[in-house]
Amino acid sequence: MNEQTSPESRNSKRDFLKYVLGGGLLAWFASVAYPIVEYLKPPQQGEVEVSSVKVGPLNAIEKDSGTIIRFGNKPVILIRTAAGELRAFSATCTHLDCTVQYRKDMGVIWCACHNGRYDLNGRNVAGPPPRPLDEFRVVVQGADVFLSKNI
Amino acid sequence: MSTLWKKTYDWIDERVHLGDLVEFMGKKYVPVHRGSVWYYFGGVSLFLFIIQVLTGILLLLYYKGSEGLAFESIQFIMSKVAFGWLVRSIHSWSANLFILAAVVHMFSVFFEKSYRSPREITWLTGMLMLFLGLGFGFSGYLLPWNELAFFATKVGTDIAGVVPIVGKPIMVFLRGGEDVTGATLTRFYGFHVAVLPGIFTVLLGIHLLLVQRQGMSEPLDVEKAGAAERKTMPFFPNFLLRDLLFWLLILNLLAILAVFFPWELGKKADAFASAPAGIQPEWYFLFMFETLKLFPAKVWFLDGEVLGVMLFGVAAILWLLVPFWDRKSARGEKNRAINYVGLAAVLYIIIFSILGWFM
Amino acid sequence: MKKPSWISVAGLIVGWCMVVFNARAGDQCATCHGTLGDKPSSLFRKDIHHLKGVTCSGCHGGDATSDEMERAMDPKAGFIGVPKGDAVSVACATCHSNADKMKAWHSHLPTGQLELLQASVHGKLSTTGKEHIAQCTTCHGAHGIVSVKNPASPVYPLNVVATCAGCHSNAVYMRSYNPSLSVDQQEKYRTSIHGMRNAKGDAKAAACASCHGSHGILSSTDVKSAVYPAKLPGTCSKCHSDAEYMKGYGIPTDQYDKFAKSVHGIALLQKKDLGAPACNKCHGNHGATPPGVESVSKVCGTCHALNADLFSASPHKKAFDERKLPECETCHGNHEIVTATNTLIGVTPEAVCSKCHSEGEFPEGYRVAATMRGLIDSLETNEARAKSLVGDAEQKGMEVGEAKFKLRDVHQARLEARTMVHSFNEGKFRDVVGKGLAVAVLVGQEGQRAIDEYVFRRIGLGIATLIITVVAIALWLFIRRLERQQQLERTTT
Repeated sequence: MNEQTSPESRNSKRDFLKYVLGGGLLAWFASVAYPIVEYLKPPQQGEVEVSSVKVGPLNAIEKDSGTIIRFGNKPVILIRTAAGELRAFSATCTHLDCTVQYRKDMGVIWCACHNGRYDLNGRNVAGPPPRPLDEFRVVVQGADVFLSKNI
Repeated sequence: MSTLWKKTYDWIDERVHLGDLVEFMGKKYVPVHRGSVWYYFGGVSLFLFIIQVLTGILLLLYYKGSEGLAFESIQFIMSKVAFGWLVRSIHSWSANLFILAAVVHMFSVFFEKSYRSPREITWLTGMLMLFLGLGFGFSGYLLPWNELAFFATKVGTDIAGVVPIVGKPIMVFLRGGEDVTGATLTRFYGFHVAVLPGIFTVLLGIHLLLVQRQGMSEPLDVEKAGAAERKTMPFFPNFLLRDLLFWLLILNLLAILAVFFPWELGKKADAFASAPAGIQPEWYFLFMFETLKLFPAKVWFLDGEVLGVMLFGVAAILWLLVPFWDRKSARGEKNRAINYVGLAAVLYIIIFSILGWFM
Repeated sequence: MKKPSWISVAGLIVGWCMVVFNARAGDQCATCHGTLGDKPSSLFRKDIHHLKGVTCSGCHGGDATSDEMERAMDPKAGFIGVPKGDAVSVACATCHSNADKMKAWHSHLPTGQLELLQASVHGKLSTTGKEHIAQCTTCHGAHGIVSVKNPASPVYPLNVVATCAGCHSNAVYMRSYNPSLSVDQQEKYRTSIHGMRNAKGDAKAAACASCHGSHGILSSTDVKSAVYPAKLPGTCSKCHSDAEYMKGYGIPTDQYDKFAKSVHGIALLQKKDLGAPACNKCHGNHGATPPGVESVSKVCGTCHALNADLFSASPHKKAFDERKLPECETCHGNHEIVTATNTLIGVTPEAVCSKCHSEGEFPEGYRVAATMRGLIDSLETNEARAKSLVGDAEQKGMEVGEAKFKLRDVHQARLEARTMVHSFNEGKFRDVVGKGLAVAVLVGQEGQRAIDEYVFRRIGLGIATLIITVVAIALWLFIRRLERQQQLERTTT
């Protein structure tokens, strides 16, 4: 019982416990505060928007060009024809899943892996691809271009 | 260090006269008896509610409440935000634990008949908070806008629409339209972070104020025994420290659950897809869901479902008003019947929840 | 044996005359028309029907026993005159589609020809709309019909080409039915081995009917046609896999078996992928000849364009042609082309490079081959590692969508590298592989990061639990001590 221990040892016990408790509480507080502080810092990357993707201003997209844009986890090729029309297709080749590209010199969408070709309407016209490319919707809102799934 | 505390205290005391309050707090005692352990559950519910508010505030810094972005924003929180996975999983787990704790708290009060005079208002506010808690759960469940939540909300609001006369307008009000759409999501978000918290806070304030004013209720036999027989402990610091200890352990439990059983996200909701097999509401609605399934299609002239919903409504109202029809407890007499009713209710809920889980 | 008596001899002679003259006597039409000296009856003398005892009325109807014109050519006796259009084939079919009649004439010929003909392309209505395009007589002739095996028959292998070409090489005629169908088959055929042998009198060599069939000829786009791409190898192998038949020609007979095991064979024959080549794609249709040594890469290059272009620009083109090595076939085989794996390249004994390259012979190529193998192996190893790390992280429940997206680039680099091998240029190869390697390494790092995060969470939890446990125990002790103190104060007051 307490009354049997000497005052000094009781005091030191008291102090020790207080230190452990105080130190522990401090550590606990830090272990709660640290995640919260880190959480509040905005992460590097922006949002992952998958139903529609903003590509950027229309005047930044050259005529007679094609760019690959990330749509969620899939690549999409955005074509702007020489006449200025915007078209977008899935950039996954229907043959063996390579990523296609726009070839200005050939005037087609071309797949580097096995020389597959698609016309500018996404239809497979030469080489091994068995199916056309899926189409995506391009919408111009104000000065910006948006891609969305074709429903 | 302690002089700084004292100086701060004195400065505030000069302006607010804390003296009375401190004296009052110092006199608070908690009865110590066989059923004392149940006293903790009110505090646990409060603690879990505070956790919900804190994690909820953190979540709404990154969550986007519209159809096109909700799912992805939660994906973002789970994968890109530092400790986002932790905040979200704690919020989801704590929601469930809160309801569990609140139900345990409610039943412990019920069995001890602590709802009797003078604590009727405490009981009423508590029951209303429990209903609001279920509302929190229902509205929050939709916010990730995933497949399961979408269909669960459809079914749930359909059931609300079954109530005669007022059902349809209520359903349209809840859904923000005829069907469950992005409008529903926005509306539920508003309910979840503004409307429900506002009402809940008011009720909580009343509830806590009353507990402070009236002190802890004691079981009838303890009450009858003399003051000399009563064992108590001071609220400050004893009960509070024990409370804090319990809360600390629960916090650890939440962290363990978040790491080893992270909350799923599933597939994004698609209004045009067919409902996946085995759609179920959250566990706290399962017993009602399962009961409704067992009602025959038509009873008399009524739809089986309508009858079921009405019966639940009546049962809820009766339960809510127990302080007023339990005359025996009001008189200070033992009432075995209440125990039987309570036991039946507990068994019914447990059995039908299990049935609902496995069917 | 007893010497035959003069009676038996006379009897034999009489009997013989009776048979011969009876036959003649039985066919009054032929007798009469023979004296008239018209073409049909003179042709009919050699006709197999006539030799078997079928009279003119067998096809034309009428009474062949009567020598009176009115009675013989009486419509009431069944005389139909010169049948026109479909009536011709109907006339032939009265016997040739009737199994009982054929048996009565002791013939073992099949009886489904007209049915097949009517289901075939030639069974379509002609431009007049009044009859089908081809009748039996179109190919077999009308009055001098002989067996298919008879060199005089227009459908004897040595003659059938000219018979078919009668219509099929006539551009004006063919234009009225199918303007896009070519009319140079015969010309091409004559440049082929089959055509050249056929011209020299080899009836065993394939002619039109050998591949296209005779009566049931269908368009090559019809899945039931013997020359439908998926069925064509089977048609060719009817002769080319028959060792007995092919004896003396000096070419192997295992091509079909080898082809069936190849990627092309499996794709075409099993998966019915018409993108895969049948025999005609590489050997030609009518001008069927195996490609020459220098043109192998051009032939393969009609589909494998990138590989062929790279090869043609590479040092191997000149080297192979000089040594009369059949370009693509040297490394990949011709009929039994299987999926190229990494073992094909390099300096190990299984690699084809080792056939010419060693440290002593063509050492530069030896070095490049070894380097290329090393590079592509390392790309595959890194890709596998990255995939496994990402897969592991995903299994553990970590979010790795972006890393998986980047893996596509590695997959692409691997495919492009396998094509770039054909340049046999170390620099270009290194570039392609390098891109893939960089991404693979990056993805591997991301996968590892995800796994590390998973571990970090558990360690973090462990530390937090430790702290909380310490605090909880300390708090508990503190409470106990406090309560003991309070109890003490209570008992002492």
